[in-house]
Amino acid sequence: MQTSNDKLSATFSALADPTRRAILGRLASGEASVSELAKPMKMTMPAVTKHLKVLQKAGLIRQERRAQWRPCYLVATPLKEASDWVFQYKKFWEESFDRLDEYLKALQAQNVSETVNPKGKRKNKDE
Amino acid sequence: MSNAAVSATETREISNEKIFDAPRELVWNAWTDPEHIKQWWGPIGFTTTTKHFDFQPGGQWLHTMHGPDGTDYPNEITYKVIDEPSRIEYEHGDCPLFYTTVIFEDLGGKTKLSMKMLFNSTEDRDDTARRYGAIEGLEQTLGRLTEYLAIQGK
Repeated sequence: MQTSNDKLSATFSALADPTRRAILGRLASGEASVSELAKPMKMTMPAVTKHLKVLQKAGLIRQERRAQWRPCYLVATPLKEASDWVFQYKKFWEESFDRLDEYLKALQAQNVSETVNPKGKRKNKDE
Repeated sequence: MSNAAVSATETREISNEKIFDAPRELVWNAWTDPEHIKQWWGPIGFTTTTKHFDFQPGGQWLHTMHGPDGTDYPNEITYKVIDEPSRIEYEHGDCPLFYTTVIFEDLGGKTKLSMKMLFNSTEDRDDTARRYGAIEGLEQTLGRLTEYLAIQGK
Protein backbone atom coordinates (compact mmCIF):
# COMPACT_ATOMS: atom_id res chain seq x y z
CA MET A 1 0.00 0.00 0.00
CA GLN A 2 2.61 2.53 -1.01
CA THR A 3 1.73 5.72 -2.80
CA SER A 4 4.42 8.08 -4.07
CA ASN A 5 6.76 7.45 -1.14
CA ASP A 6 9.12 10.31 -1.91
CA LYS A 7 6.40 12.93 -1.73
CA LEU A 8 4.99 11.47 1.45
CA SER A 9 8.44 11.24 2.94
CA ALA A 10 9.04 14.92 2.20
CA THR A 11 5.70 15.81 3.80
CA PHE A 12 6.41 13.79 6.93
CA SER A 13 9.96 15.12 7.21
CA ALA A 14 8.67 18.67 6.98
CA LEU A 15 6.04 17.95 9.62
CA ALA A 16 8.54 16.37 12.01
CA ASP A 17 9.73 19.79 13.16
CA PRO A 18 7.64 21.72 15.71
CA THR A 19 8.56 25.14 14.29
CA ARG A 20 7.43 24.09 10.84
CA ARG A 21 4.20 22.76 12.29
CA ALA A 22 3.68 26.12 13.99
CA ILE A 23 4.23 27.88 10.67
CA LEU A 24 1.71 25.62 8.93
CA GLY A 25 -0.71 26.21 11.79
CA ARG A 26 -0.37 29.96 11.36
CA LEU A 27 -0.82 29.73 7.60
CA ALA A 28 -3.94 27.63 8.06
CA SER A 29 -5.66 30.78 9.25
CA GLY A 30 -4.50 32.82 6.27
CA GLU A 31 -1.49 33.99 4.30
CA ALA A 32 1.34 35.75 6.12
CA SER A 33 4.63 37.47 5.39
CA VAL A 34 7.96 36.16 6.68
CA SER A 35 8.11 38.88 9.34
CA GLU A 36 4.56 38.14 10.42
CA LEU A 37 5.54 34.50 10.81
CA ALA A 38 8.78 35.33 12.64
CA LYS A 39 7.32 37.72 15.22
CA PRO A 40 5.13 35.42 17.40
CA MET A 41 7.77 32.68 17.26
CA LYS A 42 10.49 35.02 18.53
CA MET A 43 12.75 33.89 15.72
CA THR A 44 14.98 35.78 13.36
CA MET A 45 13.87 36.19 9.77
CA PRO A 46 16.74 34.04 8.42
CA ALA A 47 15.80 31.23 10.83
CA VAL A 48 12.20 31.34 9.66
CA THR A 49 13.28 31.54 6.04
CA LYS A 50 15.26 28.33 6.50
CA HIS A 51 12.13 26.52 7.66
CA LEU A 52 10.06 28.08 4.90
CA LYS A 53 12.48 26.68 2.35
CA VAL A 54 11.97 23.16 3.71
CA LEU A 55 8.20 23.61 3.61
CA GLN A 56 8.38 25.04 0.11
CA LYS A 57 10.56 22.18 -1.10
CA ALA A 58 8.05 19.70 0.31
CA GLY A 59 5.33 21.55 -1.60
CA LEU A 60 3.42 22.44 1.55
CA ILE A 61 3.59 26.20 1.09
CA ARG A 62 4.12 28.74 -1.67
CA GLN A 63 5.37 32.25 -1.61
CA GLU A 64 3.93 34.85 -3.93
CA ARG A 65 5.57 37.96 -5.21
CA ARG A 66 3.26 40.95 -5.09
CA ALA A 67 4.10 44.63 -5.33
CA GLN A 68 4.75 45.44 -1.68
CA TRP A 69 4.81 42.10 0.00
CA ARG A 70 5.55 38.42 -0.51
CA PRO A 71 2.99 36.43 1.41
CA CYS A 72 3.37 32.74 2.17
CA TYR A 73 0.34 30.57 1.88
CA LEU A 74 -0.54 26.96 2.45
CA VAL A 75 -0.88 24.31 -0.25
CA ALA A 76 -3.43 21.81 0.95
CA THR A 77 -2.96 18.87 -1.41
CA PRO A 78 0.19 17.22 0.04
CA LEU A 79 -1.20 17.43 3.57
CA LYS A 80 -4.43 15.90 2.36
CA GLU A 81 -2.49 13.10 0.66
CA ALA A 82 -0.48 12.42 3.81
CA SER A 83 -3.67 12.44 5.84
CA ASP A 84 -5.33 10.00 3.44
CA TRP A 85 -2.29 7.76 3.74
CA VAL A 86 -2.44 7.77 7.55
CA PHE A 87 -6.16 7.11 7.42
CA GLN A 88 -5.60 4.21 5.03
CA TYR A 89 -3.11 2.66 7.45
CA LYS A 90 -5.38 3.14 10.44
CA LYS A 91 -8.12 1.38 8.51
CA PHE A 92 -5.64 -1.31 7.51
CA TRP A 93 -4.83 -2.10 11.13
CA GLU A 94 -8.33 -1.86 12.54
CA GLU A 95 -9.71 -4.17 9.90
CA SER A 96 -6.75 -6.56 10.02
CA PHE A 97 -7.14 -6.89 13.78
CA ASP A 98 -10.87 -7.58 13.36
CA ARG A 99 -10.11 -10.24 10.78
CA LEU A 100 -7.39 -11.73 12.99
CA ASP A 101 -9.90 -11.90 15.85
CA GLU A 102 -12.35 -13.82 13.68
CA TYR A 103 -9.61 -16.09 12.38
CA LEU A 104 -8.30 -16.93 15.87
CA LYS A 105 -11.84 -17.77 16.96
CA ALA A 106 -12.29 -20.03 13.95
CA LEU A 107 -8.93 -21.73 14.57
CA GLN A 108 -9.77 -22.42 18.19
CA ALA A 109 -13.24 -23.69 17.36
CA GLN A 110 -11.60 -26.04 14.87
CA ASN A 111 -9.04 -27.21 17.46
CA VAL A 112 -11.74 -27.80 20.04
CA SER A 113 -13.84 -29.82 17.63
CA GLU A 114 -10.77 -31.83 16.62
CA THR A 115 -9.86 -32.54 20.26
CA VAL A 116 -13.37 -33.31 21.36
CA ASN A 117 -14.23 -35.12 18.21
CA PRO A 118 -11.10 -36.81 16.82
CA LYS A 119 -11.14 -38.04 13.24
CA GLY A 120 -14.60 -36.63 12.76
CA LYS A 121 -16.26 -39.22 14.98
CA ARG A 122 -19.47 -37.99 16.44
CA LYS A 123 -19.22 -37.18 20.11
CA ASN A 124 -21.74 -38.95 22.21
CA LYS A 125 -23.07 -36.91 25.11
CA ASP A 126 -23.55 -40.01 27.24
CA GLU A 127 -19.95 -41.19 26.98
CA MET B 1 -3.29 29.79 16.23
CA SER B 2 -1.14 29.60 19.35
CA ASN B 3 2.13 27.73 19.62
CA ALA B 4 0.68 25.97 22.64
CA ALA B 5 -1.84 24.20 20.44
CA VAL B 6 0.88 23.11 18.06
CA SER B 7 3.24 21.85 20.75
CA ALA B 8 0.58 19.83 22.58
CA THR B 9 2.33 16.77 23.90
CA GLU B 10 -0.22 14.11 23.09
CA THR B 11 1.47 11.48 20.97
CA ARG B 12 -0.61 10.29 18.09
CA GLU B 13 1.40 7.92 16.01
CA ILE B 14 -0.44 5.29 14.04
CA SER B 15 -1.20 2.70 16.66
CA ASN B 16 -3.71 0.01 17.39
CA GLU B 17 -4.40 -2.27 20.31
CA LYS B 18 -6.73 -5.18 20.81
CA ILE B 19 -7.22 -8.05 23.22
CA PHE B 20 -7.72 -11.41 21.54
CA ASP B 21 -9.44 -14.32 23.22
CA ALA B 22 -6.64 -16.70 22.26
CA PRO B 23 -3.37 -17.88 23.86
CA ARG B 24 -0.27 -15.91 22.97
CA GLU B 25 1.35 -18.86 21.18
CA LEU B 26 -1.53 -19.04 18.74
CA VAL B 27 -1.52 -15.28 18.10
CA TRP B 28 2.23 -15.44 17.54
CA ASN B 29 1.77 -18.27 15.04
CA ALA B 30 -0.84 -16.24 13.20
CA TRP B 31 1.83 -13.57 12.57
CA THR B 32 4.72 -15.84 11.74
CA ASP B 33 3.32 -18.39 9.31
CA PRO B 34 2.35 -17.21 5.82
CA GLU B 35 -0.48 -19.75 5.70
CA HIS B 36 -1.98 -18.07 8.76
CA ILE B 37 -1.14 -14.50 7.75
CA LYS B 38 -2.99 -14.67 4.46
CA GLN B 39 -6.19 -15.44 6.35
CA TRP B 40 -6.36 -12.07 8.06
CA TRP B 41 -3.76 -9.59 6.74
CA GLY B 42 -5.11 -6.38 5.27
CA PRO B 43 -8.39 -4.49 5.21
CA ILE B 44 -11.69 -6.24 4.59
CA GLY B 45 -11.93 -7.46 1.00
CA PHE B 46 -8.17 -7.76 0.48
CA THR B 47 -6.33 -11.01 -0.19
CA THR B 48 -2.60 -11.61 0.11
CA THR B 49 -0.21 -13.72 -1.97
CA THR B 50 3.19 -14.46 -0.45
CA LYS B 51 6.17 -14.73 -2.80
CA HIS B 52 8.91 -15.07 -0.25
CA PHE B 53 8.82 -15.47 3.51
CA ASP B 54 11.96 -15.49 5.60
CA PHE B 55 11.07 -14.95 9.21
CA GLN B 56 14.32 -13.93 10.86
CA PRO B 57 16.05 -10.64 11.63
CA GLY B 58 17.07 -9.18 8.27
CA GLY B 59 14.80 -11.62 6.46
CA GLN B 60 12.04 -10.43 4.16
CA TRP B 61 8.40 -11.06 3.53
CA LEU B 62 7.57 -10.22 -0.06
CA HIS B 63 3.88 -10.27 -0.78
CA THR B 64 1.25 -8.76 -2.99
CA MET B 65 -2.01 -7.48 -1.64
CA HIS B 66 -4.97 -7.74 -3.97
CA GLY B 67 -7.56 -5.03 -3.44
CA PRO B 68 -11.30 -5.63 -3.84
CA ASP B 69 -11.22 -3.53 -7.03
CA GLY B 70 -8.53 -5.78 -8.55
CA THR B 71 -5.60 -3.45 -7.87
CA ASP B 72 -2.39 -5.21 -6.83
CA TYR B 73 -0.14 -3.68 -4.20
CA PRO B 74 3.34 -5.24 -4.04
CA ASN B 75 4.80 -5.02 -0.55
CA GLU B 76 8.15 -5.56 1.02
CA ILE B 77 8.59 -6.10 4.73
CA THR B 78 12.00 -6.53 6.34
CA TYR B 79 12.05 -8.01 9.81
CA LYS B 80 14.45 -6.17 12.12
CA VAL B 81 13.80 -7.67 15.56
CA ILE B 82 12.19 -10.99 16.39
CA ASP B 83 11.82 -11.84 20.05
CA GLU B 84 9.60 -14.88 20.31
CA PRO B 85 6.91 -14.89 21.61
CA SER B 86 6.57 -11.24 22.56
CA ARG B 87 7.93 -8.82 19.97
CA ILE B 88 8.31 -8.26 16.23
CA GLU B 89 9.79 -5.13 14.64
CA TYR B 90 9.87 -4.52 10.92
CA GLU B 91 10.36 -1.94 8.22
CA HIS B 92 7.86 -1.55 5.44
CA GLY B 93 8.85 -0.66 1.90
CA ASP B 94 12.09 -0.46 0.01
CA CYS B 95 12.30 3.19 1.05
CA PRO B 96 10.99 2.68 4.57
CA LEU B 97 8.68 5.41 5.68
CA PHE B 98 7.56 3.66 8.80
CA TYR B 99 8.98 1.35 11.40
CA THR B 100 6.46 -0.98 12.98
CA THR B 101 6.66 -2.60 16.40
CA VAL B 102 4.22 -5.33 17.43
CA ILE B 103 4.03 -6.45 21.06
CA PHE B 104 2.34 -9.70 22.14
CA GLU B 105 1.33 -9.61 25.79
CA ASP B 106 0.21 -12.76 27.61
CA LEU B 107 -2.91 -12.11 29.68
CA GLY B 108 -3.37 -15.69 30.82
CA GLY B 109 -5.21 -17.37 27.96
CA LYS B 110 -5.88 -14.05 26.27
CA THR B 111 -3.41 -11.94 24.35
CA LYS B 112 -3.05 -8.20 24.09
CA LEU B 113 -1.63 -7.11 20.79
CA SER B 114 -0.26 -3.57 20.46
CA MET B 115 1.24 -2.15 17.31
CA LYS B 116 2.82 1.19 16.59
CA MET B 117 4.03 2.69 13.36
CA LEU B 118 6.67 5.33 13.74
CA PHE B 119 7.78 7.77 11.12
CA ASN B 120 11.14 6.65 9.84
CA SER B 121 13.27 8.74 7.57
CA THR B 122 17.01 8.38 7.30
CA GLU B 123 17.77 11.64 9.05
CA ASP B 124 15.31 10.98 11.89
CA ARG B 125 16.00 7.30 12.35
CA ASP B 126 17.60 7.66 15.78
CA ASP B 127 15.34 10.36 17.03
CA THR B 128 12.15 8.86 18.41
CA ALA B 129 10.73 12.23 19.41
CA ARG B 130 10.94 13.47 15.85
CA ARG B 131 9.45 10.28 14.49
CA TYR B 132 6.48 10.67 16.81
CA GLY B 133 6.25 14.32 15.94
CA ALA B 134 5.48 13.69 12.30
CA ILE B 135 2.07 12.13 12.64
CA GLU B 136 1.21 14.10 15.71
CA GLY B 137 1.99 17.18 13.68
CA LEU B 138 -0.01 16.02 10.73
CA GLU B 139 -3.09 15.41 12.82
CA GLN B 140 -2.79 18.65 14.75
CA THR B 141 -2.28 20.64 11.61
CA LEU B 142 -5.08 18.86 9.83
CA GLY B 143 -7.37 19.27 12.80
CA ARG B 144 -7.29 22.98 12.17
CA LEU B 145 -7.16 22.63 8.42
CA THR B 146 -10.43 20.85 7.91
CA GLU B 147 -12.27 23.97 6.84
CA TYR B 148 -9.40 25.14 4.73
CA LEU B 149 -9.24 21.79 2.94
CA ALA B 150 -12.98 21.84 2.36
CA ILE B 151 -12.68 25.23 0.67
CA GLN B 152 -9.75 24.09 -1.46
CA GLY B 153 -11.64 21.00 -2.59
CA LYS B 154 -9.97 17.68 -3.43
